[in-house]
Amino acid sequence: MAPPSSIHPPLPAFRSSDLNCAGQPRQAGDVLDRNFGGAICYSFLVGLASSIPVDGVEQRFSEGGEAALADAYTLHGKLVYTFCHRTVGASIAEDITQEVFIKAYLSREQFSPDKGSLAGWLMAIARNRIVDHFRSEQRLSRTSPAHDNLEAAPEPRIEQIGDKLMIAEVLRQLPQRVCTVITLHYFDDLTHKQIADRLDMPMGTVKSDLRRGLAQIRHQLESNRE
Amino acid sequence: MSDQRNHLDDCEIEATLRVFESTEAELLEPPERVWVGIQARLHASEQALKTKTGAVADLSGDLAVVNSVRRGRFAWTALAVAAAVGLVVGLAVVIANLARDDSTRIVASAELGYDQERFDPLGAQARGRADLVERGGRHTVELADASLVSAGADADLEVWLIRPDAQGAVAGLVSLGVIDPDNPTALEVPSGHDPFVYNVVDISIEPRDGEPGHSGRTILRGPLLQT
Repeated sequence: MAPPSSIHPPLPAFRSSDLNCAGQPRQAGDVLDRNFGGAICYSFLVGLASSIPVDGVEQRFSEGGEAALADAYTLHGKLVYTFCHRTVGASIAEDITQEVFIKAYLSREQFSPDKGSLAGWLMAIARNRIVDHFRSEQRLSRTSPAHDNLEAAPEPRIEQIGDKLMIAEVLRQLPQRVCTVITLHYFDDLTHKQIADRLDMPMGTVKSDLRRGLAQIRHQLESNRE
Repeated sequence: MSDQRNHLDDCEIEATLRVFESTEAELLEPPERVWVGIQARLHASEQALKTKTGAVADLSGDLAVVNSVRRGRFAWTALAVAAAVGLVVGLAVVIANLARDDSTRIVASAELGYDQERFDPLGAQARGRADLVERGGRHTVELADASLVSAGADADLEVWLIRPDAQGAVAGLVSLGVIDPDNPTALEVPSGHDPFVYNVVDISIEPRDGEPGHSGRTILRGPLLQT
């Protein structure tokens, strides 16, 4: 199987619509930490694993082939591993990450690119597996005093961690202007008018960009749960 | 996932956006062994399916389902291969353990019980305890205080680890190997299978029919509890 550091096939040529939040062509290891229209840099979005659809990867994954699995791991391995690491800890995260990709590969016929993204599907598998892990631990806690300190209901926390990671993924994929409007409004608490002034654009456009961005996030999060 | 979690309103998303911390978007690089393990586990399971030696058999669903779809004929060759592989692996493990001076400790134990309603009648007189032993970062399952029964002339006793789902049904299953009821030996937990996830020990009667899956004829079972 191809090593996970390689992408097959090579990244496609970029169209203008492929510009990301940073105004740069989307590519692996993409960086959003750029100024746009005087907007503030968002350094915490730097270094996100790219979830940019490599040409045909999602379709090829559903059709099988280990090269497509390697691509899927290259694109989303960090995302899945980080989710697991933040919920179950370092040692078990490695095991669950492996299980997620193996399960995804073996049940790839159930994945439909039309219904949602590959990243979202992998994260949904990971979430179910993580919940199973905690429930298994909780069963032990009922009979073993050594497990008394386990969190009683970890599911909401798992959901929140997963949601935030997916939101960050969506933000990276939003059109440049929409991403900037979202980040200025929610991260920097700027009003619609302040954003309109900052970016020199009509207030109606600011509002429609916000709606559009929220709709994209909602669509991604909801599609993971269906 | 509950239905209400399938539908988000904008307020919920906005609330999440407003409390976004910088560290929450940072991603961690998985160690290289994670990818290596994916390849190894995938190839191992594919190989097991191809050869039907029963080295690894992950199944979904309850054992009753497994039992109902069970089929196959004698496959002495496959069994001989499996036994030979098991012997070589077992010897390798023994040699590896002898070669290193690692501490050994029992990290969990399972009291194996019999369920009159669900288990095979042969298990009614059986009992025992399974210890999960950690040795140099590897885990083995060792039976202790065990009084097992013969599986009969054309069958073996096989030890499994089960990963239960939220309802306690079988979500995953891995074979540790067959045992001699009179002299049960330590069985290594296959790498990639966390015994705290696959945390129920199961002993079943497996006819020598070359079918690697669980027969559904459990005689003893018990959850591993940390010691």
